[in-house]
Amino acid sequence: MVVFGPFLCDHSNMRRTALIVDDHAAFRASARTLLQDEGFQVVGEAEDGQSGLELARALDPDLVLLDVALPDLSGLEVATQLAGSRSKVVLVSSRRPDDFGARFRATPALGFISKDELSGAMLVQLLEESS
Amino acid sequence: MKTLRLALLAAGLALGVIAYRVQIHNLGPYTSPARSWAIVIGAWLFLVAGLVAWSRRPSNRLGPLMTAAGIALLLRQLRYSHDAFLFTVFFVVGELSYWIVAHAVFAYPSGRITDRLERALIKVGYTVTFLFTIAILLLYDGSRPLRFFDPTPRDSLISVGGSGNAAITVQKAFVIVVWGVLAVAAIVLLVRKLVLATPRARRILAPLLLAAITVGLRAVFESVFTFAERPSAILYEYLFWWQIAAFIALPLALLAGLLRARLARAGVGDLVLELERTPPQGIRDALSRALDDPTLEVLFWLPERNGFGDAAGRSAELPTDSNRTVTRLQHEGEPLAALVHDPSLLEEPKLVSAAGAAASLALENARLHAETRAQLEQVRESRVRIVETADEERRRIERDIHDGAQQRLVALAVQLRSAQRRLRDPEIDSLLAATVKELQVAVEELRELARGVHPAILTEDGLAAALESLVSRIPFPVDLDAPEGRLPAQVEATAYFVACEALANVVKHARASTATVRAVRRNGLLVVEVEDDGIGGAVAENGSGLRGLADRVEALGGRFRVESPAEGGTRIVGEIPCAS
Repeated sequence: MVVFGPFLCDHSNMRRTALIVDDHAAFRASARTLLQDEGFQVVGEAEDGQSGLELARALDPDLVLLDVALPDLSGLEVATQLAGSRSKVVLVSSRRPDDFGARFRATPALGFISKDELSGAMLVQLLEESS
Repeated sequence: MKTLRLALLAAGLALGVIAYRVQIHNLGPYTSPARSWAIVIGAWLFLVAGLVAWSRRPSNRLGPLMTAAGIALLLRQLRYSHDAFLFTVFFVVGELSYWIVAHAVFAYPSGRITDRLERALIKVGYTVTFLFTIAILLLYDGSRPLRFFDPTPRDSLISVGGSGNAAITVQKAFVIVVWGVLAVAAIVLLVRKLVLATPRARRILAPLLLAAITVGLRAVFESVFTFAERPSAILYEYLFWWQIAAFIALPLALLAGLLRARLARAGVGDLVLELERTPPQGIRDALSRALDDPTLEVLFWLPERNGFGDAAGRSAELPTDSNRTVTRLQHEGEPLAALVHDPSLLEEPKLVSAAGAAASLALENARLHAETRAQLEQVRESRVRIVETADEERRRIERDIHDGAQQRLVALAVQLRSAQRRLRDPEIDSLLAATVKELQVAVEELRELARGVHPAILTEDGLAAALESLVSRIPFPVDLDAPEGRLPAQVEATAYFVACEALANVVKHARASTATVRAVRRNGLLVVEVEDDGIGGAVAENGSGLRGLADRVEALGGRFRVESPAEGGTRIVGEIPCAS
């Protein structure tokens, strides 16, 4: 059924939906602006892993912008649990990938963007590479 | 007192000779010189043992009791006299003499019978024997021998005549009750005493009590014959010597016990000499030998804790159960130590206090050792706490940097990029691009700072992941071998910082081309080794980094060493205790 995924997402009448999961309010606000500027409709925000998972399952967004270090579950764990879903997961963190060790290399997420480098262009590039 | 004892000794010796002659003259073919002397010698031994005990421990009633038993056993033989007065008086005294012996046995070694049952038995023994012997003498008409006591007829001074059958019945009853029932009761109580005694007390009591049980069994045997034919002459001969042997063994066992106490006190003298060359940790063993108590424990007073502790300075409680006894020792009015010992030592309080006094200087020395050990232990605990607190503080600072300034700067960078995208003004665009670049540098610097303070990966994923992350940032190949699984936080942090500081030194100073980081669990230790092929010459004392690492490792009770020969290569090893 992979055939329909990109097809539905690229439908011209539909804005792509996004969910932001991050425990820092300031970052969520900045990311919301950035995503909206890129044409995403931000359908939800969550500040911990558990509520992020629940929202992702309920809203079925096209994109989940997911912080690695969350207060309860790790972002890597949330990404693993979302592996079978339609949502594409992009991990973000203010830390470097090598700060997370081997677990990071095994993540089913689409990719990783360092928070200070996060831009609409980088996101679009990642999403396009995957489709 | 000494005169009295000498008089008693002289009287006893004379009495022995008289008793011998009374037997030889009046029992005729029913005795022999050997038998008569054996009885006298047995009684003399009681007398001598009693007088020795009396002179050594005047306050202990055991000496007078044993002396009385010896005299009574000698007087007993006078009842074989044909004189009616002597027979009447010493028949009663003679039978009571066995109870004086039993009294002494049960009173050994303190001189007092503390057990209620034992006291009751002795009282009943004295009373019943006295009443029975008076009754026998009242009913005995002298027409034929007293069946169980004498082969020839005697004259009772208080006889009221009557039928010979009544006298025989009372004699039988006496033999059954006193030599049978009461002797069995005595044996049962002696066995009970042996069983209930503490190991040390049992060793002291056993010879005497076993001899007493043998005497008791002989009495029971005699009682059984009341219902049977008298045994053959040859068996009777054996039984006689059995009784004599047991009777001689009794005072000898008592003397042996006294000698033992004397040896023990001589042992206190040796203790003084021995302690002069005994290290503090050997004092317990020396005292244990001197007091003949392998279970002895020595606890020291630790004023800072206002309580007792063992030789290693660990706090210890004084026992409260009845199987252990505590003797507290003082030195110059201050609490010094507590001896926890077998309760049987209470019967020799002078021995314990003499040993305590002899050992007081050595004990004070050992107490100071224990106190120092206790203080060292406190210092050690406090070093561990300092390391733990510092680690916790570092973790907190790392979190604060990450969650605070770093997040704000990151959010700012994202916002500026959004602004840059919306404005589309080339001049402002390049200004914003430069600002974002600066922000990224600031974020990177903060990231490095946080990582150096306490890497989050160490807290979240453990040592192996943290070391892997660490070596991935080193600009030359590093071979890594690290244990999977988690270890106590302070062990992981210490091992990590050893590797981190050592690798930082390799990068800065060693001019190395490769390095190896190995963390291995071995014999309850986590051994961290960092080796390089650089120029060598590193010294722990010079760099505060290495010195700080040594302090950190040693605070956890571990060891740290730097092997860095001038000809090249450096090996840094930290051995950190990890119990799990």
